[in-house]
Amino acid sequence: MPVLAAGLSIGEYLRSLVRRLAFLAAVLVLAIWAIGGQGYFWPAWVWLGLGVVVLLDSAGAWAWRQPRGAVRRVACVWALVGVGAVILTCTWLLTWRLAGVESFWPAWALLGLATAGSAYSLIALHDRVLVARGRRALRARIEMLTRTRSQAVDAQAVELRRIERDLHDGAQARLVALTLQLGRAELRTQELPEVRALIQDAQREAHHAIAELRDLARGIVPPLLADRGLVAAVESLAGRYGLGTAIEATHCESLAPAVESAAYFVIAEALTNSAKHAGAGRTWVRLRTGRRVLVVVVGDDGSGGADPYGSGLAGLRARVEALDGSLSVDSPRGHGTLVEARLPCGW
Amino acid sequence: MRVVIAEDLALLREGLVALLRENGIDVVAQVEDGPGLLRAIGGHRPDLAIVDVRLPPTFSDEGLQAAIEARRRQPALGVLVLSQYVETAYASELIGENSAGIGYLLKERVGDVRAFLDALYRVAAGGTVLDRQVVTQLMASREGIDTDSLLALTARERDVLELMAEGRSNAAIAETLIVTPGAVEKHITNIFAKLQLSNCGDHHRRVLAVLAYLRVARQPARGRL
Repeated sequence: MPVLAAGLSIGEYLRSLVRRLAFLAAVLVLAIWAIGGQGYFWPAWVWLGLGVVVLLDSAGAWAWRQPRGAVRRVACVWALVGVGAVILTCTWLLTWRLAGVESFWPAWALLGLATAGSAYSLIALHDRVLVARGRRALRARIEMLTRTRSQAVDAQAVELRRIERDLHDGAQARLVALTLQLGRAELRTQELPEVRALIQDAQREAHHAIAELRDLARGIVPPLLADRGLVAAVESLAGRYGLGTAIEATHCESLAPAVESAAYFVIAEALTNSAKHAGAGRTWVRLRTGRRVLVVVVGDDGSGGADPYGSGLAGLRARVEALDGSLSVDSPRGHGTLVEARLPCGW
Repeated sequence: MRVVIAEDLALLREGLVALLRENGIDVVAQVEDGPGLLRAIGGHRPDLAIVDVRLPPTFSDEGLQAAIEARRRQPALGVLVLSQYVETAYASELIGENSAGIGYLLKERVGDVRAFLDALYRVAAGGTVLDRQVVTQLMASREGIDTDSLLALTARERDVLELMAEGRSNAAIAETLIVTPGAVEKHITNIFAKLQLSNCGDHHRRVLAVLAYLRVARQPARGRL
């Protein structure tokens, strides 16, 4: 079948057949009119009929190509309106040319058709327009929330580091100065044991306060992280756990403070779990920046079976998700644990 | 003894200067940043530099870097680094290859004036003084792995080891812990046996033993880097 071989469906084949037959019929009536002695040009009416068939076919096919639902229904209505308008206009043309009718009688009918089509479109597409507008508004809102959240997270990280600095230069320094003054005073009270004991008590209190502030500051930003960046802080961390952790790090410079802190605390928590619960013999940390994402992988060969929704890991997940990141924990019993965090970062 | 002080917080700097001067120590220069420290040691040739880890402009570890550079320029210079927190990483960097004339103490140790002055003299004389927190961190670091040797240390033995890291003599340790010198010696023998650190007889070598341990403890972290 040559038609099918050309890649046409049955429907398309039928449509091209209708067009050819219409063309043939048009030529045929012209010939009959010519042979039959001409006179009143009646084939024009046959042409109009044939044209309407072909037009209906094309308009119907166009309407059918539109997306399903309201849009297709509206397209069908407009196809009918269009065909109707063509019929009316052509009929008027013929009556004007062939019968000499002067007035444009289809005017009101055309206006009615256009009004009906518009009214239908308005009703049918009303919801769609609203939904589209709603979606646009939602998208804008999501973009704004994403932007402001990331600004808030960044601002928070910067603010935390500022607080740590302020603690260091402010309260901690003053307390150190205080112990220094107390120490100087103590040296002058050799003959006053009661005063000396009071001063020593005061010094002990100051020491406690300093130690508490130090722990507080360390919880905010570990000093090595603030001073030397992520890789140095992780090395120190690994050293502290003494697990013989292998560290691989590529392109981890100039990360945003929020990303750095999140990565650090993920690694700290994962290594703590490895040391405390997994009985791991070997641990490893891999840090890699890919396209706009920092990938942190912490693995061990311990006993596995970590609860991904336990409090420690849940806290980390919240921290990572606040940065639009993701955290996955793979910990089959007896086959080690793999914690992977993906943190979007700015380049 | 001639001393240079590098500390950016005026309150502390002035307190330190007053403390040292009233105890007969000659403060020849007070500076606020790393470059200032290097200029001062070049100009004044002091015996000792007391340096804060965090100095302007970066407020990270400028003081540490300046102290290392100062030691490179004047190997005989004693350097006492003060910090509000202790990092064993910083201790290893500061010590480098040569632990003579190095001190690394928490800032609040200045409150114990006698011990602090003692530490100053020992560092200026080429001794080594490490804050007892360095030892505490090392202990914490080994938990979970080297249980045989480290968790085997008793609380009292840890106290002794921490004071040893500060370079204190047996008599000073005994006085601090309120025990007899004989008891301290017994503890030290036990510590060396448990940590497998042999032949660490004299005063300075005991700190070296802690340092050796510090280096060993940090090695695994650099594993396959």
